[in-house]
Amino acid sequence: MATTSKQYKAIGDDIWKSRTEKINAELFALTYGALVVQLIQDYEDYAEVNKQLEKMGYNIGTRLIEDFLARSALGRCADFREVGEVVAKVGFKSFLNITPTVTHSQPQPSGSRPPSQANPTGSSFILTLDENPLAEFVELPEEALEGGLWFSNVLCGVLRGALEMVQMQVQAEFLSDVLKGDESTQIQVRLLKYLEEEVPVGDD
Amino acid sequence: MTIYSLYIFDRHCTCVYYQDWHRTKRPKPAVEGGILPAVSHAITPQPLPADSNAGSTFTSPRNTLTSTSGVVIAVNEPISPGPGLYQTPPSHQQTQANPPPSTSGLAFDEEAKLVYGVILSLRNMIKRISGRDEQFTNYRTSTYKLHLYETLSGYKFVMLSDPNTDSLRFVLRQIYNGPFLDFVVRNPLVIMDSKERGIDNEYFRANTDRLVKGLSVFP
Repeated sequence: MATTSKQYKAIGDDIWKSRTEKINAELFALTYGALVVQLIQDYEDYAEVNKQLEKMGYNIGTRLIEDFLARSALGRCADFREVGEVVAKVGFKSFLNITPTVTHSQPQPSGSRPPSQANPTGSSFILTLDENPLAEFVELPEEALEGGLWFSNVLCGVLRGALEMVQMQVQAEFLSDVLKGDESTQIQVRLLKYLEEEVPVGDD
Repeated sequence: MTIYSLYIFDRHCTCVYYQDWHRTKRPKPAVEGGILPAVSHAITPQPLPADSNAGSTFTSPRNTLTSTSGVVIAVNEPISPGPGLYQTPPSHQQTQANPPPSTSGLAFDEEAKLVYGVILSLRNMIKRISGRDEQFTNYRTSTYKLHLYETLSGYKFVMLSDPNTDSLRFVLRQIYNGPFLDFVVRNPLVIMDSKERGIDNEYFRANTDRLVKGLSVFP
């Protein structure tokens, strides 16, 4: 396992260095901040803002996955544990240049069973973000803290959208955020189920 | 050595794009409702009895972008008591009024279903025999070779070529990495995964065309 996770790290580094178009991080952070503020003004309800951010992220994720697959040329992951490694070491690295720490909730016995059986629903991993490019320069006002705003909730949507396109229905949510005074920023990704491939409808 | 045609299927098993090059027989236009709009102008059901442009190849692909405008919606209801012209199904009318020079006997929607059926069955058969996640890449008959590239997100790129060509999987991958990414995935006007529209647009078609025509296997 150690070697493969090292390999993913190398792949992520390589994509970030040679195959990612870079943009100004400050412009990115400020644009995202402006977007969140606009949503807050429009909806005047923090729960609704969280929902909208998640939805936006979902739509981003459904397209981002194609970009990811085309650039990384990775094969299908054998189990959900590997998914966590790839998301953190290749996905986050190649798009945001950060590598969250992955904590797997259920250590899977490494068997050669097919993926659908090797992952009982409920497997999950936690991504701990040491730094968050979206939240650069951000300080949440008292009101937003009380309202329960998850400032970077767009990330949850991206994860859900991207993984759904590769036949995994997941639930992604923030557990804690340094912006709220927590010690770390954590996103939990829980596998709900593997989606079946669609078959054509019989017409005769 | 030559390349005949390209099909792209999405993860809902529907054909979202079609393009052909050295194909001797064009498929008949699909019947109404048989395929999504914006797949290919050439095989989209014609709203009116075939006119002067039936013989030539398709006109500006831009036309396909507007296919959800009033014109198409109107012909989607051929049963409605409209002008007498629309009483018979348009597909019939067209072939009788002005048969295009050479089309195969099959309507495009039927053809697309058959192509999808064959790759799905072969792939499942291969997986079942080997018991592993084995990839099916191409098969060959006496007259053509079918190449398949399937992305993890469920898009299937299918290309038909001369039976003697080498594997064209790299070409399909190039189409995915290049034009598909640039002009479909990153194009906000293309609604992906919509189940209602294809992905045809002018830039994608032009760039795919350029890519394929630039290949050494292309005469």
